[in-house]
Amino acid sequence: MNEKSEMKDQETGMSQGHVLDIKLPIGWLLSAYGLLLGIYGLVTKKEMYAKSLGFNLNVVWGGLMLAIGAGFLLAAFLKKDRAGR
Amino acid sequence: MDPVITLNAVDYAIIGGYILVMIFVGYSLKKYMKTGEDFFLSGRSLPGWITGLAFLSANLGALEVIGMVANSAKYGIATIHFYWVGAIPAMVFLGIFMMPFYYGSRVRTVPEYLKLRYNEATRGLNAISFAIMTVLMSGISLYAMALLFKLMLGWSLTGSILFGAVVVLLYVFWGGLSSSIYNEVIQFFLIWLGLLPIVFLGLKEVGGFAGFVAKLKEPLLHSAKYLGTSANPLGVDWFGVVFGLGFVLSFGYWTTDFLVVQRALASKNINSARMTPIIAAFPKMLVPIIVVIPGLVALLVLPEFSQAALPTADYNSALILLMKHYLPNGLLGLAITALLASFMSGMAGNVTAFNTIWTYDIYGSYIKKGKSDSHYLRMGKYATVFGVAISVGTAYIVQSFPNIMDYMQLVFSFFNAPLFATFLLGMFWAGATGWGGFFGLLVGILTAAGHYILYKLGVLHYASDMAANFYQAWWAWLADFVVTIGVSLFTAKRKPEELAGLVFGLTPKTKAAVRWLARPAVWGILAIVIAIVLNIIFW
Repeated sequence: MNEKSEMKDQETGMSQGHVLDIKLPIGWLLSAYGLLLGIYGLVTKKEMYAKSLGFNLNVVWGGLMLAIGAGFLLAAFLKKDRAGR
Repeated sequence: MDPVITLNAVDYAIIGGYILVMIFVGYSLKKYMKTGEDFFLSGRSLPGWITGLAFLSANLGALEVIGMVANSAKYGIATIHFYWVGAIPAMVFLGIFMMPFYYGSRVRTVPEYLKLRYNEATRGLNAISFAIMTVLMSGISLYAMALLFKLMLGWSLTGSILFGAVVVLLYVFWGGLSSSIYNEVIQFFLIWLGLLPIVFLGLKEVGGFAGFVAKLKEPLLHSAKYLGTSANPLGVDWFGVVFGLGFVLSFGYWTTDFLVVQRALASKNINSARMTPIIAAFPKMLVPIIVVIPGLVALLVLPEFSQAALPTADYNSALILLMKHYLPNGLLGLAITALLASFMSGMAGNVTAFNTIWTYDIYGSYIKKGKSDSHYLRMGKYATVFGVAISVGTAYIVQSFPNIMDYMQLVFSFFNAPLFATFLLGMFWAGATGWGGFFGLLVGILTAAGHYILYKLGVLHYASDMAANFYQAWWAWLADFVVTIGVSLFTAKRKPEELAGLVFGLTPKTKAAVRWLARPAVWGILAIVIAIVLNIIFW
């Protein structure tokens, strides 16, 4: 492994590899989960959340997952954008 | 028996979404699988963070999670030994010292290294024993999942076993190791997102760590203080933990098990390969958060684990009962998907390791040598099919073992524990000869088997099955170590030139080409320091 190719690898990351960007499926899956859980949480009654100590976990956790999923999608699109230029 | 958990349409939508994404990922990787190296080693093209997360997740199968929650309910904080003693040092050692020989020699598999360093016989012995082990382990994953579905959803064992097998078969058949690795990365995120709510709610209900301290028996709260005393719930002494688990079992597993090493070999360059286990070490240190805390919470909040019920409690059900206790529908589906994902990837990891070893080290070395690359690629796909088929059969064998985790340690100690002695001597002592390596390994495996038989016959006594496993690993390792050295002294040595690139000291040192922040040694030392601090805190 010479120094030059090592540097190149670090700069371009996966783009010289042969496969799809893993950030996309993770991002889509987590965003979809977040949306589904969030909406479900908003339409369900309070009594359902007695077991989770009164927290509407579907809304709270759904929101968090949506944020993480969106983060992955953003990272993937930013990289694609940079590679495209 | 009524199912423990009732799922609704939202839960099923979440489970279904995961299966779809998995199959989609497998299918979209299909067109990239042009050569054997693409299928078996992801074309050696992946960045360190992906192989690192996959390296960790390959070991975070459903049975690991369920078994470790069970261990935590049974043994308390002492379960952290499986992480901070039994994993981190070995992972760092692999990255810093051993990976240069694995990745640097361009071998495709662990047995192939043994062939270059020792001889054909050593490779054959390891390849065959490893192939057997992977299908056993794959069967264990399948069974663990089927049992889970049966308890939880009331599905039939056979139905779940076949369903799981078909999904894994589909995506590994299409995408090979890449499919496996990508799903492991997805699983890494799902397992944390699925289990953390239980941790938060559990800690809130029992009143945080102060609640544990106030309500649990003292020996359950210390990892090391009670080792070797009769109050120690683990039933293992210092020697067993440090040498049996921390040294032999752990190094044997993390440094020579092709299942995990394969992930590092898929890296795009040697620095990423060395960073793979070290990147994995950091999240590995945090895994006790999602297994130990739920185990302790189960003891305090679940009636099934109250003082009166304990003698007959089924520890393996702790995690599932906690999900039922805390999670509303919706999040419940997510937690179950996380377990499903960790089961699938545990099985897929074994299947991909099996098809690679079978194709390169058994089929390509003994059955049909010198065929074209596309011939072996096709064979790899067939091997995926029959590997899955054998796993299905194995799943039924596992049913007779009550504690899955103990069984897993047992299987490791048969095959991996002696192997670590062979590697240690092979990589760091140029004097080890081909036949030394072969007979050392053979005697090591026989020692493990003999020890197991004597223990089962009642000739040898230990305080617990776990202690027996740890000691078995130690004796198997020692036997391999001593016999390898002994035989090597009387057999012909190889010329030093032939061992260049394979043995420490005979390999020219390459200057580090990366800036200090990207160096494996820097991060490895940091991981070790954190692990030591954590051990002291929970002493």
